[in-house]
Amino acid sequence: MTEVFNGQEEKDVFLRAYSSMILSRMFDKKIVTAQRQGRVGFYTPTIGQEATQVGVSMALNPDDLVYEYYRDVPFMIHRGVPVEVLLDQIMGNSEDSAKGRQMPSHYNAKAQNFMSVQSPVATNLPLAVGAAYAIKHRKENKVVVTTFGDGSTSTPDFHAALNLASVYDLPVIFLCENNQWAISLPVEKQTKVEIWKKAEAYGAYGVKVDGNDFLETFKVAKEAVDRARSGKGPVLIEAVSYRIGPHSTSDDPSKYRSEGITEGSEKDPIVIAEKRLKDLGYITDEIIDKMKSEAKRIVDQKFDEREKIPPPKPETMYDDVYKEMTWIIKEEKGEAL
Amino acid sequence: MSSKQLNMVQAINSTLDYALSKNDSVVLLGEDIGRDGGVFRVTEGLQAKYGSDRVIDTPLVELGIVGMSIGMALNGMKPIPEIQFQDFIFTAFDQLVNQAAKLRYRSGGQFNVPMILRTPYGGGIKGGLYHSQSGEAYFAHTAGLTVISPSNPYDAKGLLMSALEYEDPIIFLEPKKLYRSTKIDVPDEEYKVPIGKASVVREGNDLTIVTYGSMVPVVTAAIEKNKVDAEIIDLRTIMPYDGETILQSVKKTGRAMIVMRLREHLVWALKYQHFWQRGLLTILWDQY
Ligand SMILES: Cc1ncc(C[n+]2csc(CCOP(=O)(O)OP(=O)(O)O)c2C)c(N)n1
Ligand SMILES: [Mg+2]
Repeated sequence: MTEVFNGQEEKDVFLRAYSSMILSRMFDKKIVTAQRQGRVGFYTPTIGQEATQVGVSMALNPDDLVYEYYRDVPFMIHRGVPVEVLLDQIMGNSEDSAKGRQMPSHYNAKAQNFMSVQSPVATNLPLAVGAAYAIKHRKENKVVVTTFGDGSTSTPDFHAALNLASVYDLPVIFLCENNQWAISLPVEKQTKVEIWKKAEAYGAYGVKVDGNDFLETFKVAKEAVDRARSGKGPVLIEAVSYRIGPHSTSDDPSKYRSEGITEGSEKDPIVIAEKRLKDLGYITDEIIDKMKSEAKRIVDQKFDEREKIPPPKPETMYDDVYKEMTWIIKEEKGEAL
Repeated sequence: MSSKQLNMVQAINSTLDYALSKNDSVVLLGEDIGRDGGVFRVTEGLQAKYGSDRVIDTPLVELGIVGMSIGMALNGMKPIPEIQFQDFIFTAFDQLVNQAAKLRYRSGGQFNVPMILRTPYGGGIKGGLYHSQSGEAYFAHTAGLTVISPSNPYDAKGLLMSALEYEDPIIFLEPKKLYRSTKIDVPDEEYKVPIGKASVVREGNDLTIVTYGSMVPVVTAAIEKNKVDAEIIDLRTIMPYDGETILQSVKKTGRAMIVMRLREHLVWALKYQHFWQRGLLTILWDQY
């Protein structure tokens, strides 16, 4: 990787990436446990997708835009979204910048250039194309990344967005996080063609990468981002990983699949990262243990701290439908309160 | 003050021209709007003047036109997408309902979508099932959308001028039957018709008729013909509609009639809100 970073810089960057992956993993475990304890309503775990997201995030500038989906905690953590912001959203408390209006896993992190998350899958993709059009119109040197799952590639929005971004040569990175499942549907039943190949049909550049390996993903993402930034048009990255956890805390995968990659096995992205960093001489078991217990401590402490924050006031639920509250909503508010 | 005799197509075209000239972040996008000037010629001449990057001929994909516009609007631009016929908007309905309408709310006010979606709607041009629909009730039902429909060239310009400064998504429904039906004096200067304010197009004492869009001239002609002393209210903004003007009028006349090219649903909403709830008893109901 010396072509991108020099010695110490590379070590720092890679260790920071690993640290984000660890923090995300600990965060994930914490929220899943808290949901089982009834302290959180719902959650979409990201376990298994850490390397994909952190690898791509490493290739971006802070002012690049991300139109993400609901399973992107590692991506957000690596771009500096404070754990508090994620927790406030999941808890829907009065500190949540979206005022507790969305179900858990629908984050808001405007400060780190993330768009607010929607539920209807792939509807973020055409928006990312429009964002890139605005960037190009103003001759800014930014790219837009938009993320989605393998299942989302069957939607009309996916095809429309890829086509439009190609037609206008826009700097969009379409990151398909192929975790091989869309709730209960395996990717082989989702599509007959490998996802990255669909790019060619639209004149975009398509590439597939091992999304369990953060260094491989970073390399591919860096090329993709450089390409898009230099005006060569959109790129579709298919990062293949595996959804180690359930689709959500409401899902029981034992009904529809036998176990694939398990946590701690050799394909676990965290295990791969540790091996890579050990081979490079950047990390030891001792440092790993220290980093893990520190990440766990942070998550536990922040969770307890954020849990004390009260819920939003009910009357705020009528705000922000329009810039000015309409008389109709004023009446509805009056009737309800 | 100078003015010109314009039909609605010309009034909208000149307002779009004005918007493009004033603000570089205004863009138009849609099918056949550039080289062809739009199938109703509403955007005639604008691409030649402002270039294909600002008057954008798009591929044939309504959800893409709307989705891209939303993305532009979120990033400092003022997109004015055109859907060639309102009948073809439904693949973009998800983008309108789940993205455009909800972004401000779901982000706690951190994002907003200042987009003006223009589209010809309604019957009267022998368009059959797929070139005649009046879908305003779908949009009016969705919190977060603002639905506008002018009934004459003067209001078309004035409402569009207000829309240019509006910071939430607008569905601007252009009654295609009225596109070229009449020419009236339209001032050259800038003026605005406020969003959310109805106009009383004829004062009267015996009956209030609430209507908008292509039904305004129909109602006006019927009243003249039948010599009814009716007060005619042109809503201009369908949602949020001007409840106060309706209420004041009905208090005076004691009777109300609603005329729309619609099934009962939206009519029911108006009925409930303004008349049942406020206990006005002597009201005559009818609908077109
Ligand atoms: C348009 C739409 N249809 C259905 C759903 C319900 N749903 C939520 S996630 C999901 C599966 C998505 O799978 P994929 O795109 O592979 O992403 P993953 O959850 O695996 O990360 C479904 C069907 C939805 N959110 N949006
Ligand atoms: Mg999936």
